Amino acid sequence: MLEIRDLVKIYPGPVAALQGVTLEVPRGMFGLLGPNGAGKTTLMRIVSGLLEPTSGTVHFNGEDIVADPARVRRQLGYLPQDFGFYPHLTGESMLRFLLVLKGVQAPKGLKHLAAELLDRVNLSYAAKRKVKGYSGGMRQRLGIAQALAGDPGLLIVDEPTAGLDPEERLRFYRLLAELAENRTVLLSTHIVEDISVLCPRMAILHGGRFVADTTPSEARGRLADTIFLGVVDRERLAEINRDYRVTQELLIEGRHRVRIHVPEGPPPEGFETAEPTLEDAYLLLAQADGVGNGDGSGNGDAPDAPEEVSGDETVL
Amino acid sequence: MNPFTRWWEITRREASSALRRPASWVLFGFLILAGFTIATVSRIVSGDPSLGGEVVHITSVYGQASFQSATILIFGVWFLALSAGLPVIKDHELGVMEVFRSTRLTEREYVWGKFGGALGAFLVLWLLFLCILAGFSHLLDAGGFPERIGPFSVWNYVLPTLLFGLPQILLLAGVPLLLGVWTRRPLLVFAVATIMLVMATIARLLGGGEDVGWLSLLFDLSGGGWLSGTYLEVDRGVEFYNTAPLRPGGAFLLSRLFIALAGLLSVVLAARRYRVWMRRGGAKVRGAASERAIEVNVPRPPLRRLGMQQRPPGFWRAAGAIARSETHDLVRRPGMLVFVPLLIMFALSQGREGTGPFGSAVLVTSGGTAAAQMNVMNGLICFLLLFYTVECLHKERSRGMHDIFRTAPVGTGAILLGKSAGNVVLALFMLGVMFVCDTVMIIVRGASGAAADFEFLPFAATWGLVLVPTFIFWTALVTLIYCLLRGRYMAYAVGIAVFYLTAGRGVAGGLPTWTTSWSGLGFVTWSDMGAFSLHGTPLVLNRLLYLSLVPLLYTLAVKFYPRRDFDPVHLLKGANPRALLMRGLRLLPLAAPAIVLASVLTCAGEAGHQGPAATAWEKDYWRANTTTWSGFRMPSVSRVDLDLDIEPRLRSVAVQGSYTFFNHRDHPYEQLPVTAGQWEPIEWTLDGAAHRPRNSSNLFIFDLEEPLAPGDSVTIGFSYDVVHLHGMSRMPEELGLFVLESGVVLNNYSLSFVPWPGYASAIGVDEENRPRPRDYPDDFHEGVTEAGSGWGAVPFHVRTRITTPEAYTANGVGRMVSDEVSGDRRTVVWETDHPVGSFNVIAGRYAVKEGNGTAIYYHPGHHYNIEEMSAALDAARRYYSEWFHPYPWSVLKLSEFPDYSGYAASFETNVVFSEGIGFLTRSTPGTDVAFQIVAHEAAHQWWGNMLEPGEGPGGNILSEGMANYAVKLLFAQVHGDRYRMRFSETSEQLYARGRSYDWERPLVGVTGRLPGDRVVNYYRSAWVMWMLQQEMGRENVLAGLRAFIAKYTANPDHPVLYDLLDVLRDFAPDTTAFDAFAAQWFHDVVMPEYELSDVTRTREGEGWVVRGTVANVGTGRMRVVVAATAGYRWADEDGGGGRSVVSEDYRDARTEVVPGAGESVEFLIRAGFEPNRVVVDPDMMVLQLSRNTAGYRFER
Repeated sequence: MLEIRDLVKIYPGPVAALQGVTLEVPRGMFGLLGPNGAGKTTLMRIVSGLLEPTSGTVHFNGEDIVADPARVRRQLGYLPQDFGFYPHLTGESMLRFLLVLKGVQAPKGLKHLAAELLDRVNLSYAAKRKVKGYSGGMRQRLGIAQALAGDPGLLIVDEPTAGLDPEERLRFYRLLAELAENRTVLLSTHIVEDISVLCPRMAILHGGRFVADTTPSEARGRLADTIFLGVVDRERLAEINRDYRVTQELLIEGRHRVRIHVPEGPPPEGFETAEPTLEDAYLLLAQADGVGNGDGSGNGDAPDAPEEVSGDETVL
Repeated sequence: MNPFTRWWEITRREASSALRRPASWVLFGFLILAGFTIATVSRIVSGDPSLGGEVVHITSVYGQASFQSATILIFGVWFLALSAGLPVIKDHELGVMEVFRSTRLTEREYVWGKFGGALGAFLVLWLLFLCILAGFSHLLDAGGFPERIGPFSVWNYVLPTLLFGLPQILLLAGVPLLLGVWTRRPLLVFAVATIMLVMATIARLLGGGEDVGWLSLLFDLSGGGWLSGTYLEVDRGVEFYNTAPLRPGGAFLLSRLFIALAGLLSVVLAARRYRVWMRRGGAKVRGAASERAIEVNVPRPPLRRLGMQQRPPGFWRAAGAIARSETHDLVRRPGMLVFVPLLIMFALSQGREGTGPFGSAVLVTSGGTAAAQMNVMNGLICFLLLFYTVECLHKERSRGMHDIFRTAPVGTGAILLGKSAGNVVLALFMLGVMFVCDTVMIIVRGASGAAADFEFLPFAATWGLVLVPTFIFWTALVTLIYCLLRGRYMAYAVGIAVFYLTAGRGVAGGLPTWTTSWSGLGFVTWSDMGAFSLHGTPLVLNRLLYLSLVPLLYTLAVKFYPRRDFDPVHLLKGANPRALLMRGLRLLPLAAPAIVLASVLTCAGEAGHQGPAATAWEKDYWRANTTTWSGFRMPSVSRVDLDLDIEPRLRSVAVQGSYTFFNHRDHPYEQLPVTAGQWEPIEWTLDGAAHRPRNSSNLFIFDLEEPLAPGDSVTIGFSYDVVHLHGMSRMPEELGLFVLESGVVLNNYSLSFVPWPGYASAIGVDEENRPRPRDYPDDFHEGVTEAGSGWGAVPFHVRTRITTPEAYTANGVGRMVSDEVSGDRRTVVWETDHPVGSFNVIAGRYAVKEGNGTAIYYHPGHHYNIEEMSAALDAARRYYSEWFHPYPWSVLKLSEFPDYSGYAASFETNVVFSEGIGFLTRSTPGTDVAFQIVAHEAAHQWWGNMLEPGEGPGGNILSEGMANYAVKLLFAQVHGDRYRMRFSETSEQLYARGRSYDWERPLVGVTGRLPGDRVVNYYRSAWVMWMLQQEMGRENVLAGLRAFIAKYTANPDHPVLYDLLDVLRDFAPDTTAFDAFAAQWFHDVVMPEYELSDVTRTREGEGWVVRGTVANVGTGRMRVVVAATAGYRWADEDGGGGRSVVSEDYRDARTEVVPGAGESVEFLIRAGFEPNRVVVDPDMMVLQLSRNTAGYRFER
């Protein structure tokens, strides 16, 4: 159980990235949804022991992570949002190096374990290639492999499916689902589908505050019979936008397919009842908080990744 | 967008990118340091700004050309290789061209843009450097010597950049670009850059003017060799350098043009190569992995079946893994491609024999090499460690792996230790590279007799003891600096500042003590006879001190390492003084060992022989006595009796002895002062009875009951214990006199072990109270002239009884009269069988080589030149006795001592050489350096000892100049003309390079205090004596010299050069010619410089006629031979006894000309053979400048 109490983080500026966040994350997969700048990465970094909060507590299985971040490292698997590796190492060497640092042990040895993990993320064929030659997706999969290593009690994954193609994303879903059976997995994303597929519970973070702590089905259930789908021309679109809360708008064959939320009263003409989606729920919850575009918190956008990654290799 | 705009866009962006790289900042930092150094301490040609008067302006076009050509070469080669050679490779690896190909950018625009960017970035930095240099020089006067700064002239800065800089910049950028495009391998880019640097450095060192031809000048990339060979090698005077324009010759201009065009051609070829390659489609990004079809449906066992467990890794396991990873990474860094070749080049440059005294080549030894390389390696590797330690600590951040790395359950201590260990391993790898290079170099050169036997121990002792702790400490310090600052650029800046202020500046400023110096710079003066017997204890304590600080530094580093990004609010809360104090106290146990060691070093150093107390009495001595006793002339010492009990291990000597004074003057003495050192307990006797003289701050004044009448004698006895170099030293130092386990060297010229008769005017004198040098009137040599050095007066007898441990051999002046061993102590007694003017004692563990009335005492490992040295000593004793004066003593000894100070000194019968002189010199065909040095020092038995020169101008020439003249005579006698000529040529070159045009005085006026006086004393005067010998005839000169020595030996009137001329004139067959010669060469400064022109050869009948013109573009008028020659003059075979033999193939035909200053004289030579060369002065009979222009070789 991960318990977060009254967590505040203020960056110099000052910018309030987290404003008294409280959350209990049970065993299993937990989704953290929010737009860019909502404070997701700040929260993840505090929980990972990488960032000191301004105030508040974080406990994992009763151990105080803020007071002694070393405690969480022993049982942590972490996949940051942005990361890299030593470019001169091969994928296998890189992974083995990290396995040693994490103190991972396996009955058949680390070499075998590294090969198995690479196979899980479909990188066996590139195990002997240097990481500097990896594509973005391959690098992301190597990151996933290291995060899974060691059977961690707490797995924190920040935007894990960014850069993955649909098939790899599916593979990753399976892996996460398997892992989540007996541990806490905190998944941060702004891709609603990830949460929808994987998470029995989720929270929506916005402007440094939680605007919802729910389950995907509950979120969808609250919208039963209030979501309508219709196809309109350009002239009518402006009118719909003005009169209703639009949750989706697609241009198909020159016409606009629009999903709208109508909590009371009849839908406009030509609109039919549609099955609510988690995306509908997320957008409506965000809009209900008045900060649909992440600009209404009064505190400004918090830097999700305050740490500057210079990226330029030093060459002498 | 037109092609120019596209090119400009690439150029602009590339330059901007290059300027943001750390390499640019590092280069800029170096350029600022270089600018500061040039403006503050650099000078060109000769002269010493501290002496005042006119000096060459560093801002003159010659000064700027010299500095700029070297600076661009040294710094530009690496920067341009990085900024021109690597970006194309990097773009290629990143696949950037794939994007560019979709634009209108052409390959040519791209390549020229990259070139322009690299060039632009360097030129921007260079322009800033010039501004800073000009600012330091003209605005700040950073050196504090306004005499060195001339009027500001933009042209003085711009011309050298255009002439010397631009061509090499184009080449140094163009070639790496071509290689980068062609091979896409950084290794080759740096390898070729290194080759260019080596080539240009060698060309620069070799020098060479227009005469070497434009093709040869192509290797001189910097142009510094041409500048040196044409203008700087021979001093042309301050006025010339400050006012004359720099006029490049045709050959030089052509070479510069070709170098520039070669650079541009490289870019053209690079563009062409790139276009061809891209049109073939371009290879895939090297190492890039292609995606593979995903096998989604392949069933795999669940993760839990893998049985993974996670347990924080052990400290050492994690540190080891990190260290391995770091090492793996570090050895592949491009910087290694710079530093490793740089170190190899440095090692190879050490393989060239060093230069010993008199320009002699020196054998390469393991200890000498290890010690000589220490300082440079120290600086280079510390700089490398600074850069790489910071990079290691920062690399996870720069590569985006920071968060993954920091969340691993590894202790911060293990991370820092692992990273540091990787860097130290890198430093050890560097040392290993150097060691291997040195080993190979010593073994290879040893096979040709150029190096001594290889030994491992010196490398282990010096590098292991000094450098390894330095690297460990420095790495720990840099680690702490980074952890505190958490930013790499700040860490670089602070690290460089710390290094400069605590290591570089400390050494330069003479500030470091054993307590304050962590770097080890200047710590070791190597001696094969006992490297650490001088400073062993403080050196070990110093190393322990800085190693003991390492745990403290790492503890602090762990505390501040950015494992978790701190919150400012928490930081402020924790910064209360009490909390900080408590944290500091908790660190006290870690700091305790360092505090104890630093205290021991400081206290012992302050109380030791370099401490203030040890020399405080000297100022008191000067204050109390200088007014009363300065200028007091003592009666002569007629006898010295000494009984010395030496204990080298304790550095002590128990002294008992006496001086008998004989009043050789015409007035009585009522008081006799004697100066003693801080020796306790000191007891005195007067004529055998106990006496308590007045003690005036260590000047002991004996009030005589009866005045010492002319012709009377009185004996003063003394006894005391001397602890030489007592206590621990404060800082490393060179020492010429010492009592150490490795050897004992003492003499009567200082207060090293015996009292000084009278007032010692040099004690207590420093910059504050140094008296003005004495001005000598023109007739100073008339009447009685006091001795120039030593005790003066007339020679005396010495009896020295020396007791040492049995293993030691102790030598004193005179002959040995007894040698007894009692228990583990040996007692030898030395007595002079003829009076001497000085005395010394030397002891060590020696092997002995006996000769004919001679003996050489040497370190058993230094056997290389003993046969040559013994032969030289025998020959010197025999022939100098015939030529100058019979040798009055029964034995002539030569003993070796540890090289804590490199010098040789010739005391009567007891010559001493430091090990670097003679014992480790190296002879080459046509030279016999060991012979030469022994012959020189042996000659001092006559010129310096038997004949003790007088005080005043020209005095020292009778010692050093005559000794070198004697060497010429002895070479000609024993080895023949080849060796004599080679020695003469070397002397001529040393004189030409070392002379100071503006300061040079006629021989009779040389005081030894002006710049260039040394080479005049040693070389010019010997040459002049040789030319005088041609003028007067050999036998006449030798007869004159015999008469001269006979007149002045044991004479209270000590001679100077005027006296020599007076005597020699009586032996001159033509006094008019003698006077004319003396007027030119002794009373004036002339220097012929011959040039040949219009040289032709034509066949006439059976023979050949050579015609030409000899011009004397220098000064003076001398009869000089011009010869037409064919074949090489000297045969390889030995003519017997090492004598040179003229080759059978050699022919020459000669004529003589007498061109005066500024005159040209035509000559005609008839030869019965086809000549292939014409040479002025083929036998090295006339001293001249630029001898290489006084020859002509016919084309085949």
